[in-house]
Amino acid sequence: MRRVTGIPAAAVALLLAALPPTAAALAQSQDAGPGVDQPPAEGEYRPGLGVEASRELGDPQGEPLSGEELDRAVALVAADIRCPKCQALSIADSGASSAQAMRAEARSLLASGYTRDQVVRYFEQRYGEFVLLEPRARGLNLIVWTAPAATVLAGGLLVARRLRQRRSADEDLNAYLRQVERDDGDDGDNGETET
Amino acid sequence: MNRKVLLIGLGICLPVLLVLGFGFRHDPQIVESPLIGQPAPSFRLADLDGNIVDLEELRGTPVVINFWATYCVPCWVEHPLLMEGARRWQGEIHFLGVIFQDDPDLIAQFNAENGTWGPSLIDESGRVAIAYGVYGPPETFFIDRDGTIVDKAIGAVSPEQLLNVASRMLVQPAAATG
Repeated sequence: MRRVTGIPAAAVALLLAALPPTAAALAQSQDAGPGVDQPPAEGEYRPGLGVEASRELGDPQGEPLSGEELDRAVALVAADIRCPKCQALSIADSGASSAQAMRAEARSLLASGYTRDQVVRYFEQRYGEFVLLEPRARGLNLIVWTAPAATVLAGGLLVARRLRQRRSADEDLNAYLRQVERDDGDDGDNGETET
Repeated sequence: MNRKVLLIGLGICLPVLLVLGFGFRHDPQIVESPLIGQPAPSFRLADLDGNIVDLEELRGTPVVINFWATYCVPCWVEHPLLMEGARRWQGEIHFLGVIFQDDPDLIAQFNAENGTWGPSLIDESGRVAIAYGVYGPPETFFIDRDGTIVDKAIGAVSPEQLLNVASRMLVQPAAATG
């Protein structure tokens, strides 16, 4: 593995030198700071690693799921959540490791009794509304929901108006033709009389 | 008739142009994090040596959490900056690296060759990355003394952002800590 050559070290040092040094900087070492325990003995089991999603979600509002019921619930949630590393793919459809981790998280939460809404809200609170494959119908999103119907409606009105105009024009034309025929008939009768 | 056509054309084109104009002002790759201003999700993770780091126990000191990986080029780019930042604010700001979907052996090799700016924490299940809503590495979260996420960098963090946010976090009075 080659060595890193990123932002020039001199430029970095120059920028960061803008702040004066403090006594704390000299007194405390980061590697042995608070919050860092000693390494475990070999084979020692250390539970509780990771993050407790329940702390963010509060109490479960449903029943713990298992078996096929859990599989179905996971599939439903996964179909609604966008894979953050993919283009327009749900975490149900993506094989990306991020999607796998999110499916596992959804399964774990649903198995703990969290409802589908709670799980979806958990992902939304982390990633933002972008993670929902179906945007919520509010704010600017309303354009997405209303524009297709509005376009179809506007198109329908335009077509109806055109048809009405055409029908009206046809009626005028027919009336005119009938008038011409009547006039021709009258002229013919007059001609015979004259001859 | 021509005026009517013009009005209809404007009625169709203007909203489209407005939407495009609004859209082009934002980088579509950058999604605002809803976590800014929210409490940082707590976690306990082991580093490459097996030491456990508990974020909760770091409360009272600003923390910079960087999600990174060796396969990520911007992570290489920002590495010297983070090295300098960790050296500059040693004891004042904790710099934590969370490995994002990478082999700990490769991380260890990278650290041996390039140096480290903080513990490289193993997030094996990826749950910590999910809790922070990480889209992909590198992403950097700045957490103040109260444990609140005050800023986030997507992609390689810039010296200006690091300096500005670190300064802001450091001047926050210690009395405000919970």
